[in-house]
Amino acid sequence: MTDQGRQDQAVIVDRGYRHYEGERTGRSGAMRAIVREGFRRVIGLRRKTKHKLFPWSLIVLALAVMLIVVAIAWVSSTTVGPEATEELIPRYAGYFDFISVVALLFTAYCGPQLLVPDRTHGVLNVYFSRPLSVTDYLVAKGGAYAAVIYSYWLVPQLLLHLGLAALSPAGFIAYLGDTTDILWKVPLAATVYFALHASLIFLASSFINRVGAATAAFVAGVYGLNLVALFFQEAVSAPAARWATLVALEQHPRHIRDWIFDRSSDVVIPAQAGFGPGVSLAVVCGVVTVSVGLVWWRYRRLA
Amino acid sequence: MRSRESELVSEHRTIPNVGGSSPGPAGGSAPDPIISSKGLGKDFGRVRALMDVDLSVGGGVTGLIGANGAGKTTLIRILLGLTRPTSGEVSVFGVPVSEDPAGLRARIGYMPENKCLPLDQTAADFVSYAAELAGIPSAEARRRASETLFLVGLHEERFRYLGDFSTGMQQRVKLAQSIVHDPELVLLDEPASGLDPTGRERMLRLIARFREFGISVLFSSHLLDDIERTCDWVLMLHEGRLIHSAPLDPPTEGSQVSVEVFGDPRPLIDDLVSRGVSPAVEGPVITVEGLDTDVFVLVRDALASSGSSVRRMGTGLSRLEDVLESATRGPA
Repeated sequence: MTDQGRQDQAVIVDRGYRHYEGERTGRSGAMRAIVREGFRRVIGLRRKTKHKLFPWSLIVLALAVMLIVVAIAWVSSTTVGPEATEELIPRYAGYFDFISVVALLFTAYCGPQLLVPDRTHGVLNVYFSRPLSVTDYLVAKGGAYAAVIYSYWLVPQLLLHLGLAALSPAGFIAYLGDTTDILWKVPLAATVYFALHASLIFLASSFINRVGAATAAFVAGVYGLNLVALFFQEAVSAPAARWATLVALEQHPRHIRDWIFDRSSDVVIPAQAGFGPGVSLAVVCGVVTVSVGLVWWRYRRLA
Repeated sequence: MRSRESELVSEHRTIPNVGGSSPGPAGGSAPDPIISSKGLGKDFGRVRALMDVDLSVGGGVTGLIGANGAGKTTLIRILLGLTRPTSGEVSVFGVPVSEDPAGLRARIGYMPENKCLPLDQTAADFVSYAAELAGIPSAEARRRASETLFLVGLHEERFRYLGDFSTGMQQRVKLAQSIVHDPELVLLDEPASGLDPTGRERMLRLIARFREFGISVLFSSHLLDDIERTCDWVLMLHEGRLIHSAPLDPPTEGSQVSVEVFGDPRPLIDDLVSRGVSPAVEGPVITVEGLDTDVFVLVRDALASSGSSVRRMGTGLSRLEDVLESATRGPA
């Protein structure tokens, strides 16, 4: 057929507009969509390559640390013996310390990614024109954050658990049977880390309009407060200075984690200042409550 | 639930011309209103954004016109339940907005004036996500996103990132997200803002098509021409007050033409008189009406023979402008 012939037979198709009569999932469906989309955004799925680089580098790093731990366990168990392995290898509680800096960076990266672009790109206008309340939005964003952070903490821990079980002289099944307490201790410790970090990074991300600045403010704030606490601990002799050490927010989840794993907490600043883990728990609860309140207030004003 | 497309087109409610009344200050009301308000007011501190607004808006395409700061966006936000009025009450689909704002928002689409697009997402992903936010299941949301982007002319570009889109394309994505969940009413806040003439033309044509889809539209603009060309009914806000609410009568082809020329209009007036016409002259606008012959052809010929250069020409050229001018000149 000639080109002219084809053109003669061409038809402009107007599909018009199709109405929708199927089911609607309501607020719960909308919240699930936010969680799914938030998860994708944070790890750069369906985004350009440059959005994938940083999160995937940190994910690979966390998995690499886990593999190194398992590799050291394997090498030491074959050369030194299983007894030495127990002392040499950081186990579940120690793994939190082992990747603490990387995990903190990941935490600091994820929060602003979830909140800041919605605000700066004006997407909140779209969210709040849908049947969603501010609370729905923030809960769903928190859900997305939890999905990412728990995956980041728990997947390597699970692989570590399986790796150590595979190397155990007692045998795989016996090891799993002997360490069932890990199944609640690790998630519980991860929850403490999550609650504090999530509330602080959401707070920073709610008031700072640049992703990088919010990340930097969170990291600088957390480590800066550690320095402030150390200053009061080391340089100020007044009795009230002891209380000032509680500003070392990053130390409280460690204190509580050691409590959960029944470990000594002598390197943790609040413990050195003579505070028990209950005080750390109270500080975490207080910070979470205040932060959540401020974030909610901020978004009520924005909506 | 509404019926399928073909039935919808036939049963679509046209704007009721209330008793054939002529447009007057805030006088018109629709008998079966989609939006209604009584004594609606909103203060932001000392600033009175809306004052004592009594509204009654039916289906079809309704224009909301007013200068910047007239209260258009505030009114739209109140209709969405995002801003609480200081006084009065407002209902959409007969339901008080304060009673079930979330339920009403499920039935309403909204296109904000300002930016609202995540630039790192593709058009298809974003529009699909917007549908899911309104409760459409995921698989259906993707299908509808594809169809809606086709409708606004972005089917080929749907997998491109929004950050790579031109302003006109971004405006069309904003429009797509406002209708992807099959709303019964869409609130468009300055949809043609920032567009070049071609983009603006395309946008207005799209909005005008919503009539055939059975979607009612409240369309805010500060451009009289956009409203006159697109809407069936017009609401006019001035300094927070509703100063005009009436149908825009569809222009009857050939029955009235208004023209404004550059320079001295006298040669054109004389030429029209020599052709047996008595033009009405009001300021710079010359209006010719009530002839059996094709008025457009007659005015065109007079323009050519008198050597006048056209500034503007159309049907009912100065109608809304007159209302706005008279309302803003005297006490409201």
